Amino acid sequence: MRPQLSSVASGIVFRGGFGMPARNTPQKTLESWKQIAAYLDRSERTVRRWEASEGLPVHRREHDKQDTVFAYRHEIEAWSRLHTKCPREISTDEAESLPPVKSATNAYLIEHDAITRTMHCYIAGARAGDGDLMRPAFHPSATISGYCQGVEYSGSVEHVFQWVTKNGPAPNINPRFARIEIIESVAVVHLEVQRWSGKLAGANARASDVFTLLKWNGEWKITHKLFHWHDQ
Amino acid sequence: MTKSEYLTEYDGIVKSVQMYIDGSKQGKSELMRPAFHPDASFFGYAGDQLAIGTQFLFDWIDKNGPAPKIEPRVVSVDILESIAVVRLEVSGWSGNLAGSGVRMSDLFTLLKMPSGWKIIQKAFHWYA
Repeated sequence: MRPQLSSVASGIVFRGGFGMPARNTPQKTLESWKQIAAYLDRSERTVRRWEASEGLPVHRREHDKQDTVFAYRHEIEAWSRLHTKCPREISTDEAESLPPVKSATNAYLIEHDAITRTMHCYIAGARAGDGDLMRPAFHPSATISGYCQGVEYSGSVEHVFQWVTKNGPAPNINPRFARIEIIESVAVVHLEVQRWSGKLAGANARASDVFTLLKWNGEWKITHKLFHWHDQ
Repeated sequence: MTKSEYLTEYDGIVKSVQMYIDGSKQGKSELMRPAFHPDASFFGYAGDQLAIGTQFLFDWIDKNGPAPKIEPRVVSVDILESIAVVRLEVSGWSGNLAGSGVRMSDLFTLLKMPSGWKIIQKAFHWYA
């Protein structure tokens, strides 16, 4: 499959910065595949493929035994700008709810990415303090269970949405995927969340969450959230 | 958690899962019911049908009848303070509804209650 350059190129990190090409400096050329790859922060294999299929401007010097390659930095930068579509600013919330779509060809990775997208929908709602924002991540019959301040709570997921909305924004939450296990049509995700805050969460709280998901109508939906609030 | 604390919790968790196994083997839901939390949920596909609710599970177990040759294996037990996850692999399922030689993967989540570890959800994948 042809790589989606619009998404690939937009992730490029320029070690040399975006300024005008420094034409009179000794480093104006990149003298090997290794240097070109390092400049684009990609593997040599990737930049070779970009030359073959995407027109990455790479030049050759003829020698008796083997040609050598080199590239002009300003040409590489110009090429990259042309291949970067819609370089719009992405807000933090959007970045959370829409992780970059990778061209995953491995069947496991496709499911893995779909599961993390569902989880990012939950995280975006938690961060924004908006229960409706996370609703699409859940199955309509989903439930929750766990202890909150020593009191056991079990019930409908609607209470999560209400709690999150009442809690308000938690802009500093730091979620980490501790485990994602996929078994065909079901999956379990262990999420560790630090720096929970808000009207109900308090400040700098920590929660361990275990989500069970079901692949339902082609989409991964959370069917259960099990939580443990850690003592502060 | 010290080593002995961990083993105590581990034993309590496996004990509840064993009640599910015993009920499955004998085809008697009454043996597994005490292991489940009153608000427990149940999710998975039985063929094309989405099965929801522990009542579906208990009815199914009773109708299926004995499955004497099931081979259950506890693949993983993860404990996070008051909550836990168990993955159980069961091969050799048989019975009135199961057919014969069927395999199932189960994900149990458990909650620690004053009365012991209770299954709060069973999610499963049935290898048709």
